Amino acid sequence: MITRFPAPPPEAAPGAAPGLTRRRLLRNGTAAAGALLAAAPLSGCASSAAADNSALSVWDLFQGGDGMLMDDMIKAVSRGPRGFDVERTILDWGPSYYTKLAMSAAGGRASDVAIMHLSRLAGYAPGGLLDPFDLDLLAEFGVTRRDFLPGVWARTQHAGTVYAVPLDVHPFIVFYDEDIADKAGLLDSEGELAEMGSPEALLDAGRKLAEATGQKGILFGHVTDTAQNWRQFAALYAQTGASFTLPDGGPPQIDVDAAIRVVTFMQRLFDGRTNPNNLDYYGSIAGFTGGRGGMAMLGGWELRTLKQSKIRLGAARFPQVFEKPAVYADSHSFVLPHQKNPDPARRREAHRYIAAIVKQSLTWAAAGHIPAYQPVIAERRYAALDPQSSYADAAEVAVLDPPNWFAGAGSNFQNRMCQPLQSALLGNTSAEKAVRQMVREADTLLRQPNPVA
Amino acid sequence: MSATATPPRPRRRTPSAAAQPSLVLGHGRLPRVLAGTALGVLAAVWLLPFVWAVATSLQSEQDAASPGLSPVKGALTGQAYRQILERGNVTVWAFNSLLIAGLVTLITVAVSTLAAYGFSRGAFRGRRALLAATVAAILVPPQLLVVPLFRQMVLFNLVDTYAAVILPQVVAPMMVFILKRFFDAVPRELEDAARIDGASEFRVFLSIVLPLSRPIVAAVAIFVFIGAWNNFMWPFIVTNDPGLMTLPVGLATVKDAFGIQYAQSMASALLAALPLIVVFLFFQRRIVDSVATTGLGGS
Amino acid sequence: MTTTAPPGADAVTAPAGDRPGRPRGIGRGRTGKGPGLVFVLPFLLVFALFLVWPVVHGLWLSLTDSSLALRDTTFVGFDNYAEAFGDPDVWSSLGNTVVFTAASSVPLVLIALGMALLVHSGLAGQWVWRLAFFAPYLLPVTVVTLIWTWLYQPEVGLANQFLDALGLGPVGWLSDEAVAMWAIAALTVWWTVGFNFLLYLAALQSLPASSYEAAALDGAGAWRRLWSVTLPQLRRTTVLVAMLQILASLKVFDQIYILTKGGPNGSTRPVLEYVYDVGFTGYRLGYASAVSYLFFALVIVVSLVQLRLFRQED
Repeated sequence: MITRFPAPPPEAAPGAAPGLTRRRLLRNGTAAAGALLAAAPLSGCASSAAADNSALSVWDLFQGGDGMLMDDMIKAVSRGPRGFDVERTILDWGPSYYTKLAMSAAGGRASDVAIMHLSRLAGYAPGGLLDPFDLDLLAEFGVTRRDFLPGVWARTQHAGTVYAVPLDVHPFIVFYDEDIADKAGLLDSEGELAEMGSPEALLDAGRKLAEATGQKGILFGHVTDTAQNWRQFAALYAQTGASFTLPDGGPPQIDVDAAIRVVTFMQRLFDGRTNPNNLDYYGSIAGFTGGRGGMAMLGGWELRTLKQSKIRLGAARFPQVFEKPAVYADSHSFVLPHQKNPDPARRREAHRYIAAIVKQSLTWAAAGHIPAYQPVIAERRYAALDPQSSYADAAEVAVLDPPNWFAGAGSNFQNRMCQPLQSALLGNTSAEKAVRQMVREADTLLRQPNPVA
Repeated sequence: MSATATPPRPRRRTPSAAAQPSLVLGHGRLPRVLAGTALGVLAAVWLLPFVWAVATSLQSEQDAASPGLSPVKGALTGQAYRQILERGNVTVWAFNSLLIAGLVTLITVAVSTLAAYGFSRGAFRGRRALLAATVAAILVPPQLLVVPLFRQMVLFNLVDTYAAVILPQVVAPMMVFILKRFFDAVPRELEDAARIDGASEFRVFLSIVLPLSRPIVAAVAIFVFIGAWNNFMWPFIVTNDPGLMTLPVGLATVKDAFGIQYAQSMASALLAALPLIVVFLFFQRRIVDSVATTGLGGS
Repeated sequence: MTTTAPPGADAVTAPAGDRPGRPRGIGRGRTGKGPGLVFVLPFLLVFALFLVWPVVHGLWLSLTDSSLALRDTTFVGFDNYAEAFGDPDVWSSLGNTVVFTAASSVPLVLIALGMALLVHSGLAGQWVWRLAFFAPYLLPVTVVTLIWTWLYQPEVGLANQFLDALGLGPVGWLSDEAVAMWAIAALTVWWTVGFNFLLYLAALQSLPASSYEAAALDGAGAWRRLWSVTLPQLRRTTVLVAMLQILASLKVFDQIYILTKGGPNGSTRPVLEYVYDVGFTGYRLGYASAVSYLFFALVIVVSLVQLRLFRQED
């Protein structure tokens, strides 16, 4: 459920979102009537309801700013003689979306195209819940592997077969108030946030920002959130250069010392004085836009919300404080959910559609996401996007969740990693105990029989 | 509204105290005032969410989302309803709900009355054992079968079809049991007379037994219809295609690109609530009776 | 019947305390004409396909590692059951289910009784009262949750606006672990109390007027009449309503799933949602079946205990 405060309502949406159409109603009616009149077994309407539908059915989980931008992109590719006929379905972000996606694929009548976080691929592709892409077909429509960063492309595959085409990379970054950061002396000669380089530097930056605002320095909302703590931890942990892998059956391969180092640093950073340790997600956004802090650690996707405030918004990739550059990120990617009897013509159309949308991703960048399709990044119009272009290089050092069937965006795994981290930040437990707890939780999950293997 | 409402009337043959209020409350003034006040407050509390929802649905999104204790914060507008109807989802889901609840009712009533009559009058072998199995099945909560049922639908290749939503809902052992007890109490003489005249068993059932059982069949039908109309868990599990969803499933599952908008969400809630509320206003007594008779297992 | 109507509607799937069988007037030995097996066949067909099959198939699944993903299934014996007994989430979701059942059943019986007594007093406007109390029961669950999500909305919802007007701080109705379950129970009472209300009303209306007349002649006041005439005669109905309500509340899923998905932090997750979560979200159909069957055992025990109590009551 989304408890987000209502986004500013749109002006009486011209040409409303593509939803279920009157055509659909007629089709359902005929299917039902046909089944009744023919006194056929009810399964007679089994195929007719979904199959003879000419529109391409597309599933995603984008609401609010992202949702409207996706509408714009779909509208853009629907124009013209070769425009697409798209039936878009939006489901709730998170487990409910992924559950429906898996169930529809298991049922064999899934949508033609769906969005999936790349971090979730390991829970779908091995279990036969996705169908592979035809790379020749994609190439025919002008999209090849060379159009993507190698690090990102590597995550689109299972057993050497490509199951996903990335739309974006959306990193966990820092937003800052340019005026305050300037006052705190944190900007470089070009007016961008200067590199940190060490834990002490980030701690120091927090103190300077707090002085500059007269209130708090760095804001981070994590209380009751089911991902934020994990994003923060995963980013910092990756910077230590240690690896985090989840082999089936357990135990998890985690460098406990590095993890303790990271959690201890998080506790020092969010000490409850300079930088608050007890904010929830929306509290951190409200605090930042209200000028009660100079910097906020958030996903790049909050860009649109933050832009509506009066502050002069700057953004930078998540500061490197440990040995190695790394940024926590995920990628909204297109997949082909498994269909029992795919129609080759529709499959072709699905490939063409994905290629067309990926090329529209300059529009998508308005939401703060970094386009995965590199030709768009190279465009001058992308370089002109402020502050998006300031963190475009984050995609090059993107670190996703360790691949495992239960991990990834909106997963129970992230939620369970967040609980001990939250306790640690709130001061209810020590860094070491929190890390041990994380290891135990991961081990419990790994001990479950892998249902997709 | 008041024109369509039926005045309450004593429902049983036994003389009811409700016919004579003074018998319950006595002749004093105080009990009446107290009872009236309590009733008024309770009813107000129960109606408040409706009032609040209606008021919100008639506001613009900006007004709906502004704070204040008064439900009406700005000019009234039907914009939310217009947007919901333009999008068309609610219409498709309402159609599906009607179709599915209608077919479930039709099939359940047909299958259950036939079976109940067979169990009541039949003399075939295994009748008692089958009846015992049916009665035992009343104890099985259907919600606990969703996992194997889904598996079964995958096997039959029926996931995301009307058939998958409808078929598991037509098994109603409790209804068979209620109907059977009713048939047991119907005297056999008329049937026997028809049999002697050479009528077939099916004809006896159709032209003699069914007409006698109209009230109980109507009660069962209403009860089954309400259950199917409001059913959530199974249709939610077995439909993923939004074009096949029922009202409760569609409203809970499919989201809007703009995110949550309260005026529109109240408008769609009220549109979805409307059909059964209207039916209730027309058939109040019937529905009340059917809940009372079938709700306690016909006792 | 596979309906998941508002909890009250499950009344129909619950035992009503009647002794099955024993048709009146039909001797067992009677072999004269009568409807044959043919009448029962259509029912037997759907019964076998959509009730017996899943019951048996579910039992089998609970002994396998069956997955939602498309792959082979292997037999694992009682591994799933062993895992379930040691799974803290099974126990916490069972605990949540019990808390919800207690928190919803008590008011659902008492408020329904109060409503029925008040309406039965014969005050004017009967149809208004009936409509007010029963109408919510006719709403599909999502309509209820949409309306209450709005009432519970943290910033501008009615509940917090009301607290604000009283000078009190806002409450996280659905986001505070200590509050969410009670907020859901309150919504459930509003939604389904009308069903119990009607059952009570029907019972009240079938009470013979003669008992009241006797009390009136004795000069008993309204209060005395309630305690010594009305309530004692409602004993049987109350036991029945409470039985049906407890069984219905144990099976809660819909409103909790839609409102909180079991959150915050699992504090409202009932056992049926856990079945959904591990079975469909977590793909583990075999394990979910095992959890279902453990819960099934509990439901059967509760039903049988209730039946026993009810027979003693008779």
